[in-house]
Amino acid sequence: MFGSLKIAMVAILITGIGAAGMYVMKLRSDNAILKVNQIKLESAVADQKQLIENQQKDFQEILEANNKMNQLLTVLKKDLDDLDKRFNKKGRDIGKYAIEKPKVIERIINKGSIAATRCVEIAGGAPLTEQEKTATKKSEINRECPSIANPNYVPYQE
Amino acid sequence: MKNIILVILMSVLLVGCSIGEKKLRIFKLEEPRQNLDLPKPTPLQLEELRWIIITSDNAVEVFTKMEEQGLDPVIFGLSDKDFQLLAKNFARIRNQLKHMNDLVDKYKEYYEPKKDDKKGE
Repeated sequence: MFGSLKIAMVAILITGIGAAGMYVMKLRSDNAILKVNQIKLESAVADQKQLIENQQKDFQEILEANNKMNQLLTVLKKDLDDLDKRFNKKGRDIGKYAIEKPKVIERIINKGSIAATRCVEIAGGAPLTEQEKTATKKSEINRECPSIANPNYVPYQE
Repeated sequence: MKNIILVILMSVLLVGCSIGEKKLRIFKLEEPRQNLDLPKPTPLQLEELRWIIITSDNAVEVFTKMEEQGLDPVIFGLSDKDFQLLAKNFARIRNQLKHMNDLVDKYKEYYEPKKDDKKGE
């Protein structure tokens, strides 16, 4: 009776020791996995930080691009309003002027037409000439589209 | 009885240890698409055109001059009001062209930054 109990105890002891050994091995293996996981986590955190930084940078860029486009639309609209004003300022009637002084108006119209043609070229992506870039006086600018043709021109407040 | 309890406890302990640590799986982002990199169209170079103003007074003079210059004495005319409309339409088309052109530039700048810009980041 006691003999078989002893055997059972020894068997359990051996099993226990074996299991403990396996457990230690497993712990070491888990430890190795945890170390790898830790490295991966640290790298993932760094990636996430980089991602957030990039997102913030992108957001800033989007904001700036939107502002610039809004500014462009505003100045383009101003050019259009100025054109309208030139035709109709203080009840001006270019038809009447043309009847009175056809040669003068013809010269003005042709000058304006050349300027407007140049504006389309610039709007289509043509690079600005040095003269256009450095124009700061009203007499030097392209009056049809100073906002896109003469970046250094600051209009007077009327 | 004690031994049985001990065996049961030990078994539970051993089974409990068999639940290991889960391995992390991190998904990487896929490689971004290649840049389209289409070249921009050549800037426009428009022809210069000449406007002629005709009134009831100078019509004969204008046609005579045109004939002298070897041009057909014919005019494709616009009234002063229509001329204003044409000028405004022209300005609107120009504005639209500028707007579209700048939009394309901005998109290209945003989605296809130059390599120098990337290095600077």
